[in-house]
Amino acid sequence: MLSLMMAMKITRFAVIFILLLIIFALAGCVQVAPWERGNLAKPHMALDPHPLQSAVQAHNYGSREAAASTNSAGGGGGCGCF
Amino acid sequence: MIGLNDSCLTGLAHQSVNNPECSDSKTGPGATAKTTLQALTSAALVLPGLLLSPAQAASISTDSVSFQYNRYQEGKRNLYNVSSNLDPIRVDVVHGSGNFTFHDRVKFSFSYTQDTWSGATPVTSAPLVANGNRPILANSPDGVITVGASPLVNTRVLLDQNLNPLKLTPEGGQVVDPRTVLILSSASPETRNQANFRLGYEWNEAAVNAGGGFSLENDYESSYGNLSGRLDFNQKLTSLKFGAGYTSSQTSAILDPDLLPYLTRTAYTNQIERRDGSEILRGDRQDWTATLGLTQVLGKNSLFDTNIGYTHSSGFMENPYKAMTVIFINPEFINPDANTPIVGDARALLEQRPNIRNQLALSSKYVQHISPLDAALHLNYQFSFGDWGINAHTFEADWVQPLGHGWTITPRIRYYSQDSADFYQPYLISNQAFRKTATDASGRQIWVDANNPSEQFFRNGNGNFFDTDGNPVDATELNLQPQLVSFDAAKLPQNFSSDHRLSGFGALSGGVILNKRFSKGVELEAAFEYYTRASSLKLGGSGHNSFADFDFYVANAAIKVDMEAIHSRMNVATGRDHAHHDHGQQHAHGASPVPAGIMFGHMLDNPGELMVGYRFMYSRQAGDMLRGAHQVSDLAIVNEGCSDVILCRFTHTEMNMKMHMLDIMYAPTRWLNLMIMPQFMDMDMNLRELAGRPPRDPGVHEHTGTGGHTTGGVGDTILSSLIKLYEIPGHRLHVGLGISAPTGKVDLKMRRMFQVDGGLFHFDMQLGSGTWDFLPNLTYSGTSNRWYWGGQLYGVKRMESSNESGYRLGDIFQASAWGGYHLSNWLAASVRGVYTYRDRIHGDFNKFNARIGPMDFPANHGGQYWDIGIGVNASVPSGKFAGNHFAFEWVQPLRDDVNGFQLEREGALSATWHYSF
Repeated sequence: MLSLMMAMKITRFAVIFILLLIIFALAGCVQVAPWERGNLAKPHMALDPHPLQSAVQAHNYGSREAAASTNSAGGGGGCGCF
Repeated sequence: MIGLNDSCLTGLAHQSVNNPECSDSKTGPGATAKTTLQALTSAALVLPGLLLSPAQAASISTDSVSFQYNRYQEGKRNLYNVSSNLDPIRVDVVHGSGNFTFHDRVKFSFSYTQDTWSGATPVTSAPLVANGNRPILANSPDGVITVGASPLVNTRVLLDQNLNPLKLTPEGGQVVDPRTVLILSSASPETRNQANFRLGYEWNEAAVNAGGGFSLENDYESSYGNLSGRLDFNQKLTSLKFGAGYTSSQTSAILDPDLLPYLTRTAYTNQIERRDGSEILRGDRQDWTATLGLTQVLGKNSLFDTNIGYTHSSGFMENPYKAMTVIFINPEFINPDANTPIVGDARALLEQRPNIRNQLALSSKYVQHISPLDAALHLNYQFSFGDWGINAHTFEADWVQPLGHGWTITPRIRYYSQDSADFYQPYLISNQAFRKTATDASGRQIWVDANNPSEQFFRNGNGNFFDTDGNPVDATELNLQPQLVSFDAAKLPQNFSSDHRLSGFGALSGGVILNKRFSKGVELEAAFEYYTRASSLKLGGSGHNSFADFDFYVANAAIKVDMEAIHSRMNVATGRDHAHHDHGQQHAHGASPVPAGIMFGHMLDNPGELMVGYRFMYSRQAGDMLRGAHQVSDLAIVNEGCSDVILCRFTHTEMNMKMHMLDIMYAPTRWLNLMIMPQFMDMDMNLRELAGRPPRDPGVHEHTGTGGHTTGGVGDTILSSLIKLYEIPGHRLHVGLGISAPTGKVDLKMRRMFQVDGGLFHFDMQLGSGTWDFLPNLTYSGTSNRWYWGGQLYGVKRMESSNESGYRLGDIFQASAWGGYHLSNWLAASVRGVYTYRDRIHGDFNKFNARIGPMDFPANHGGQYWDIGIGVNASVPSGKFAGNHFAFEWVQPLRDDVNGFQLEREGALSATWHYSF
């Protein structure tokens, strides 16, 4: 059962997310032609430029901290019972 | 205009037709110049990156393989008044992964991770005055010294009337000492294996992926699956991502036998199974996750990514090794005098977490290209909260700076803060007795017959006993004891945990990642991170649990081989030299295949050529105990297997050894190859008690190992050169001169139990030789039509008289001869005969070892062994995966003639992969 505080948090959360979506919708008006995407295509501009490191970090932080993740492809990772 | 249309068409391959750039250039002045420019830029669009949406680029990996070694090392915890020699937690991780594309649209990736951890972990936390970390003292030449600390979870604590812990001081009497301390317990090494896979399909503007995997360790198993997808919109400037996953996990934790007598676990009676004197706590858990995300290009130089994730977890979410210290105060014994301290009865109860957890997380990332420096700034923020009351914020900034010549450096900084879980407490105080004598409704103390506890008795003022009907009974004929009642669990909070990961704290970490990309398609990556957790770093004030502060560092190194880059480079090269040249021929080497169990068996032929390989070896001992070549009885082992003064009590029933080896080879010239081969080991062993063994000493605990024990981590590292001696068509001969550096540990110890030092693990469970070793070898190979054959002489000579633990392993001589046949242009099969001589161990442990069985005595090592190997070799002859070679070999023992008493061998599997370019 979710408490009132939790419900308020979810509402606030949803509002933030919708605001972000609106910002994106506005950003969607931006046009970047394919030949202007040179910088975006550089490896260091990738969303995750160091996937091996991200996996290590996710495992270490996940076993030492209590935050949730937005990565559904996770899973496993073991007990971390230390 | 045709060029213009072409360029627009090319550029628009994945765009809508009303591109303003195209329409402008059709009509505007200076159209011709712009046309040329656009034609050129459009041509550049064949570079695949430009046509990918950022989300797509993030999910795609080119055909590549990577290997990584990672070390996690914690600093020592602060125990205040006890100097503990317990080693802090350390984790060694090896990771291998591969990404492959088939038919351009089908993507397959897999990864395998193995980690081994050891060290001391907090069991609970308690007031410092409870002296929960009891020093273990030992005599030494310098007097009595502290050799360790052992957990003491049931103790008395004095409290003042405000329930503050009191410390007795010689000068001031009782003073308040509000400090809390973690109570640590050590652990023997444990190994975990995890395998993941993912299969995906790509359309031009969409993708779906299905993934899954499992993670296995002794006390915890989980398996999981997930589905995810992506839709691109708006000329690939916008991508929508979605995913869902399910994880099922099972805990079966052997409760710490050291703590068991002192651990209150009544809440889990139905989940605890008793077996062989151990108690196993079982629990199941399910996790469901759903995510939704959006990636948006904001301009030529920036993009934004946001994700929302929901996780629903249910079932057993406790850490089975964590207890809550509850200080019970019997209200009947509280003295009304404010100056008289209250005596608290501190007990350890297995923690109780809620069985449901819902969590939401929102993450957002902004990536900006910094054009003057050609750098990228990555800013990340994540907020998560859930019904356990933990709000968490994460801020992270990475600066990815290419430096030229293939170098990239990435400094990064991260700040994390979380609130405490609603049910987190360092310890609890409960206003009731832990256990007290039972009374009936009229206040009479209840007595029971220990032989028949259902019958109740009472005592009158004269000390005479009578039953419930008031009839006097003869107490001398009964075994009467006061009936005891335990605390009322309903008076405790429903959920409680003292796991400091659920406390409020902040953490600051920083690090650097260094990459070097070589033109051949190989990339090296190294990273370091330092992390410090502090209660005082929590957002909005201290978390009041500075006793749990700690720090760790993480260091890792990786090698990545980009087969796609290599393939295109070779295509360009071969295309220039002679069109239609089959790329696969580059990898034929003109040499015959070598069985997988043979090391140093083949050479690279072309100067500048590089090979990256991976070797896995598994060997197993099980079955009969042998003396020489014959089966031996338990009684003979007991009496003769150990030493004149020590009789054997245990022997091993099985031993498994796994080795992962990275194999990197470079050919500076045609006649010389240089190799480096780091190794990662893990072993496990099970023991049994010998029939007819001497009886146990009463009151002395024995490390039985019958529950099995494991070790693992970095093994020795081999450096070698191969020199070609002789080559004519169909025949070649080369010699290998190598050394093995003692990077594997030889002083791994079992944890202390019941105040008894576990001592060093058995010889065979240590990770390396501990000595510098010389590895000479000579290999001949020949080939004719479809047949191939070869032979190898191989040796290991220990170059030191003993290692740091006082012994040296025996020298080795091995001779192999093999013959094989090419079944097709990609597949070959071979048969190999092997003779091995291994000397006994010389010297002996110079540190304590429990000496429980034949495996702990140097004379019971080495011998002569005869084996036959059956192998297959496969190679990819052409196409984009040309150059990949795989080999497998099973080596079946034919005869063992062992020194002393040893466990029979069951066989060994070798599997190798290598890729040369």
